[in-house]
Amino acid sequence: MDFDPQAFEFSAAIWSWLLICGSAAAILAAVSLFFCLVSRGGAGATAWANEIVGILQDVISISPRRVFALAQLTFREAIRRKALLVFVVFAILFMFAGWFLSASSLAPEFQVKVYVTFVLRAISWLLLPVVLLLSCWGLPEDIKQRSLHTVVTKPARRLEVVLGRMLGFATVGTIVLVVMAGVGWGWIRRQLPEEAQKQLTCRQPVFGELRFNDREGNPATAGINVGDVWEFYSYIEGATKARAIWTFHDITPDVLDADGNLRLENRFQAFRSHKGDMRRSLYYQYVLVNPETGLRVPTSLKTVVEFRGRTDLLPRALPRVGEAAQEKAGEAADGKGAYDLIDDLVSKQPVLNPETKEVLIPAGSLQVEVACVDPGQYLGMARPHLFIRMPDRSFEAGYMKAVFGIEMMMLLVVVLGVTASTFVKGPVATMLTFCLLVIGQSAREFMSKLVNNEEQGGGTFESIYRLLYHMNPVTELPDNPATTAMRAIDNSMVSLMWLFYNIIPDFGFFSRSLTYLANGFDVSFNNAVLPGMVITLGYLIPCVLLGCFCLRNRELEAK
Amino acid sequence: MNQFTSQHRKFLYLGGILLLLIPIIRLGMPGDSSGKNAGTIAEMRTRLDLGESNLGDIDPSGAAMNLVLLGLRGVAANILWVQADEQKSHKDWAAMRATTESIIRLQPHFVKVWEYNGWNLAYNVSAEWDAVSDRYYWVKEGGKFLQQGVKRNRSSSDLLWHTGRIYGPKIGLSDEARFFRRYFRADPDPQFKGGVDPAWNERDEDNYIAAKDWFAKGNDVEGQGNRQTIMDRSIFRSYPARSQLDYASALQKYGFNEEYDRRAADRKLSESEQEALQLEVREQLREQNRAAWEQGFQEWTQKYGQELFTVDYRGNIVTIKMEMNEDDVSDIARSPEETKVLMQAVTAYQNMTNYRYWRTRTLCEAEPETAEAHWLLFAAMEEYRKQNLEKAREYAERVMTLLEGVFKKYPELDVEEDLVEDGINAVMIWQYAYRLSGERPPAEYPLKALYDSRASEMTEYERRFNRRFLPY
Repeated sequence: MDFDPQAFEFSAAIWSWLLICGSAAAILAAVSLFFCLVSRGGAGATAWANEIVGILQDVISISPRRVFALAQLTFREAIRRKALLVFVVFAILFMFAGWFLSASSLAPEFQVKVYVTFVLRAISWLLLPVVLLLSCWGLPEDIKQRSLHTVVTKPARRLEVVLGRMLGFATVGTIVLVVMAGVGWGWIRRQLPEEAQKQLTCRQPVFGELRFNDREGNPATAGINVGDVWEFYSYIEGATKARAIWTFHDITPDVLDADGNLRLENRFQAFRSHKGDMRRSLYYQYVLVNPETGLRVPTSLKTVVEFRGRTDLLPRALPRVGEAAQEKAGEAADGKGAYDLIDDLVSKQPVLNPETKEVLIPAGSLQVEVACVDPGQYLGMARPHLFIRMPDRSFEAGYMKAVFGIEMMMLLVVVLGVTASTFVKGPVATMLTFCLLVIGQSAREFMSKLVNNEEQGGGTFESIYRLLYHMNPVTELPDNPATTAMRAIDNSMVSLMWLFYNIIPDFGFFSRSLTYLANGFDVSFNNAVLPGMVITLGYLIPCVLLGCFCLRNRELEAK
Repeated sequence: MNQFTSQHRKFLYLGGILLLLIPIIRLGMPGDSSGKNAGTIAEMRTRLDLGESNLGDIDPSGAAMNLVLLGLRGVAANILWVQADEQKSHKDWAAMRATTESIIRLQPHFVKVWEYNGWNLAYNVSAEWDAVSDRYYWVKEGGKFLQQGVKRNRSSSDLLWHTGRIYGPKIGLSDEARFFRRYFRADPDPQFKGGVDPAWNERDEDNYIAAKDWFAKGNDVEGQGNRQTIMDRSIFRSYPARSQLDYASALQKYGFNEEYDRRAADRKLSESEQEALQLEVREQLREQNRAAWEQGFQEWTQKYGQELFTVDYRGNIVTIKMEMNEDDVSDIARSPEETKVLMQAVTAYQNMTNYRYWRTRTLCEAEPETAEAHWLLFAAMEEYRKQNLEKAREYAERVMTLLEGVFKKYPELDVEEDLVEDGINAVMIWQYAYRLSGERPPAEYPLKALYDSRASEMTEYERRFNRRFLPY
């Protein structure tokens, strides 16, 4: 599993949205006022105010009936433009997909990943270009054919035209998506080998927080890197005090399964510095710790099952190990002869910082320490590699959520495409929306590094300079006015980049659903579904207003 | 503005199209049923064996993919390579395997692509897994992938050789060899129910015998004029015979335990039954192993040794064979100078391929005395393990006597590490057996000279000796 599902910061996202939209609206208002004043003098201010009032009137007096009528019109147009031909491509692709997916020799859980990824990607890649083209060419074509005149001469407001377009294209896209999703589901069920069908499930994980202790037992920010290029995994050394410590919150009897067991699933990696006993995998051991009382209960040794994962059932009544433990059990478990996983190991009070009284670990927490047992060997892990597995959900439930993620992405593309088509012609709108899609999908990480100054080697001009003079990214540049000027230009470009970085939507959130499902997890509502909805809505509101503004001021006679 | 009407323009375009079609048809026209009257390109394709069907099995899906991509095959292949590399570093094996499949559909006749990915799966990905059975699975994946490559590229002797290398050295010489060799005959994948994976070991044979077959196919293809690009031809052509020698060595090293366990299966045997079975297996393998070495000698000297190699030796183009001595050289040389050059070339190539060593080794191992010595040493080890000291000492002493005779007959083998180690182990058992019985070993004994000559390396010999008695 190569993803680390971080929680979506809803409140931070709202604040950020308000800040950006507010700033953008203020800048737009100021700039437009300036131009009105410059071009028309005092009358310009009146015209500007009238325009603002007009937009507000459009918003207030919006008629769902008219929007629906315009959406119907858009829908018919889209069908007439043969948008549904995409089904033919889809059918051909799925007819021959089996040829390309020769994954039958792979382990069942890997086959599931290959098939699910293929289906969801194929749906996205076929659907998005169709809605992108439809939405970007709709309005410009109407303007060109002058069919928009028949609409704007009716008592339909420009805002309703924009909304109607969006709704119409979204409906077409949704119908296409639903059909494709249905066929895709049937295809997975039919094509996937019987053995792999059992792996079509949606785990419900409860993830914890992870920290490490080093080989001397001191807190460490991470474990050891054993030479992997990818630094996702941290390794702990065997037969030392090195530990990976997970803290799980909100632990109640509800996390136990029907038989009263705690299901801990892990995806640990083994790394051997010597071959050792090749007949078995490396051993690891859990030690359950009550963060409040410090009670520690070790479990039996278990062997690592690499890449496929392993589920360990820990009974609620944990047997005592050794005499010292028995003595403690007498105190803690009231002489019952065993520790109770919930009563004895889950904290009842929060753990506070003795000086600042800040809550370090909230009440209801359980800590799980993981140790590698074999000397000279290492266990690798990251935060999502140990979790409490709740009862699984059906694959269909997760699949529907993943499809919903695609729906949200499709809606965002429609919103962006229709908005772009209100102020530029079809080909330009297509290019603009396509670029936003590609950058938002694949270049945001790079942009983030640039705007946060994490990319070595400087900005555009500094990079060119280094290339020409064969200087590596960490070599100091000579301290002279030219360097200062070059960096000043680069910084101004980075500022511009910052603006774009904050405006361009992060399409990565939409593919989270796919990652969850392909890895056998239920699609998290808070981490995958909600971000998709919030992002789409976040762009819908300003885009509709922008589209309305542009369409109100567009010369419809100009082809 | 041009003066043409729309209709004129259309006629003009049509004329242009027809004009361009003439050279295209002329160049690319396919031949008739006899292959004659073909266009220039079609004719060249046939002459140079570049037709899709001439190169190997046709993969319709790959061909379709290439057509759909129009001219963007290179771009798509590059993107896939980057993806595969990233998936590898992210340990996303399922995705990497799928991407690899896509790459080879785009580049089905790029032999290096097959080589690289086959190696990657069998060596690099396999090493990333902890369980030996998982490692074996990826070794198989690498081998099967290369087999696919062989089908698509019938004239590539390189791919046949690489496939043979997975079957032979990868399975037989890796750290996990004793597990891999057993898995080759009893696959750990539950779907094969303890038997062989038919797509991997169709004839249920030893891995080195399977490797020999692939190397031999590689030699056949190479012999048809398809050049190999891996190593010097004289070494390349030695691989089938070398596989037979590796087979004989492996039989000696692992054969008893493998055969014993195969026969005992899951049965619970009494001590006497165990001893009877051990004896039976020992007797069977003694002859089987000696025969394997004898066959090895035949193939090394009569097949590989008789092959002719035309080589450029210090500016002289000479034709030699490995099985040549001074008399043979004198017979074919036309002058003393030529004899000298020819002999130097033969010696140089024999040294390069280790020809003389393997010749002597096979000759020696095919001797009944050597075979007897190996199996007696094995028996001595077993008795020593059970602490039947008297029997262990008796067997060890017989080994020492037999090996002394072997070293006298083949003195050049005193650098043969396996054989030397067998002798040292026999002396160790013999000495320990005396000491553990409270007796002092005699001062004079067979192999004393050999034992004394290795005094400086004794710590390492002892370490390896003791490892044999560890539980794993």
